[in-house]
Amino acid sequence: MSGQLCAVVGVGQTKYSSTRGDVSIAGLCREAAGRALEDAGMTWRDIDAVVIGKAPDMFEGVMMPELYLADALGAAGKPMLRVHTAGSVGGSTALVAASLVQGGIHQRVLTVAFEKQSESDAMWALSRPMPFAPPTLAGAGGYFAPLIRSYIRRSGAPDHIGIMVGVKDRQNALRNPYAHLQIEDISFEKVAESPMLWDPIRYLETCPSSDGACAMVLVDEPTAGRSPDPAWIVGTAMRSEPTMFAGRDAVNPRAGRDCAADLYAQAGITDPRGQIDCAEIYVPFSWYEPMWMENLGFAAEGEGWKMTDSGATAFDGDLPVNPSGGVLSSNPIGASGMIRFAEAALQVRGKAGEHQVAGAGQALGHAYGGGSQFFAMWIVRAQKP
Amino acid sequence: MAGEILVATNVLEYPYTRTVGPVLGAFFTGLREGRIQGVRAADGRVLVPPTEYDPLTSEELTEMVDVGQAGVVTTWAWVYAPRPLHPLDRPFAWVLVRLDGADTSMLHALDAGEPERMSTGMRVRVRWREGRVGEIQDIACFEPETPS
Repeated sequence: MSGQLCAVVGVGQTKYSSTRGDVSIAGLCREAAGRALEDAGMTWRDIDAVVIGKAPDMFEGVMMPELYLADALGAAGKPMLRVHTAGSVGGSTALVAASLVQGGIHQRVLTVAFEKQSESDAMWALSRPMPFAPPTLAGAGGYFAPLIRSYIRRSGAPDHIGIMVGVKDRQNALRNPYAHLQIEDISFEKVAESPMLWDPIRYLETCPSSDGACAMVLVDEPTAGRSPDPAWIVGTAMRSEPTMFAGRDAVNPRAGRDCAADLYAQAGITDPRGQIDCAEIYVPFSWYEPMWMENLGFAAEGEGWKMTDSGATAFDGDLPVNPSGGVLSSNPIGASGMIRFAEAALQVRGKAGEHQVAGAGQALGHAYGGGSQFFAMWIVRAQKP
Repeated sequence: MAGEILVATNVLEYPYTRTVGPVLGAFFTGLREGRIQGVRAADGRVLVPPTEYDPLTSEELTEMVDVGQAGVVTTWAWVYAPRPLHPLDRPFAWVLVRLDGADTSMLHALDAGEPERMSTGMRVRVRWREGRVGEIQDIACFEPETPS
């Protein structure tokens, strides 16, 4: 990887829930940012620049919320940037923040991502009627369900794989006090019997609607040297492709494969499954776990579901995927990607608490957005490169 | 030959919820009760309307302070022909009012009758609306302290 070294020295999250009626959007972001500063042992004064991200403004109806959030995030008199790449924005926001350190521009950058879904209805904000054509889908599930059906047809995966992911991620969530869904009696039967929303996606195979924010403090090498537990960033990559074009493989998008290949090359990873200890991957619908296992090179094409089936991605498997409970357990959309990045950092810092994967030395954070067209990823490592 | 280039209206309507948080929550609740509250900033100034975070230091602000219901006009602009959605149905002034006990000015409407009565520094007081609900329009407008 080119540029200066950069490390995560602070992570802050809010307790994800369906409604945070006690705080404004500013108060929500502030809570996560304050906790990240506290974790880093810093104050607002120590921060050089702020990079903020969220999903479409239409979700809350606040246009350019970064204007209104400048004082809440201590950005007065400092550079402030807003990033937007749909659902992957939490990841790409972290990468833009990291690039300011890697590029030698700043030493200490605060990055924050949020969504307050209770102030809106993201499903219908994603299903806007347009002239000249009738509306043909409802929400993200309406878009992704046909892609999942295509994956099942192509791979021959059995029906229970999606259910297994729905159970596994909710079991993991019980280890994470920040996770929104805490379903104590989660079981295969409970997921299997939940209503079918967008065939083949059942109610308990979808993500919840959450209010929440996530923040990180990213610093340069000298500053990280004073931290007891930095997570060193050893690879960062983003890729994009159009939503639709003839010949596009929307099930296993090239942008995701290229992004992973670039990422692994930077981090010196030649055997992802062998060299990565755990992964936090953007899985808003259960079937995206096996689909991304293939797209990310953990499994050959058509084989990803076998990792889920064999328990390889379970908390005690050889590649724990979403030990935090993942997007299936907490989905403040704009923050969801950053939570993946932050959770990867917490794992290699040994600070993941009850959902700590033993001996995690190298972890993957992954986010995707739009119509599976924006990808953002990073690899973090406990050991200084 | 190209076809006709079509244009269509596209109406986007969408309901949202807004949560104000503790500081603006106190401010709007106060208006409903007929009180005006500011917040004390890190440097001791009283900001009205209040902000959740200090504009200079970004510190969290929590100390609500009652301020007066009268103050001085710090600047103004006369509206000769009010539009249908304006707060008054007769000519009025948009004013910045610094309430007694406040260190910042607040935007509102002033029912002064005629522009000749206007001057920077003039004293004005709140005229409350009947049936207050907890929003800035609970202040119907300001009016000159001295009768014409």
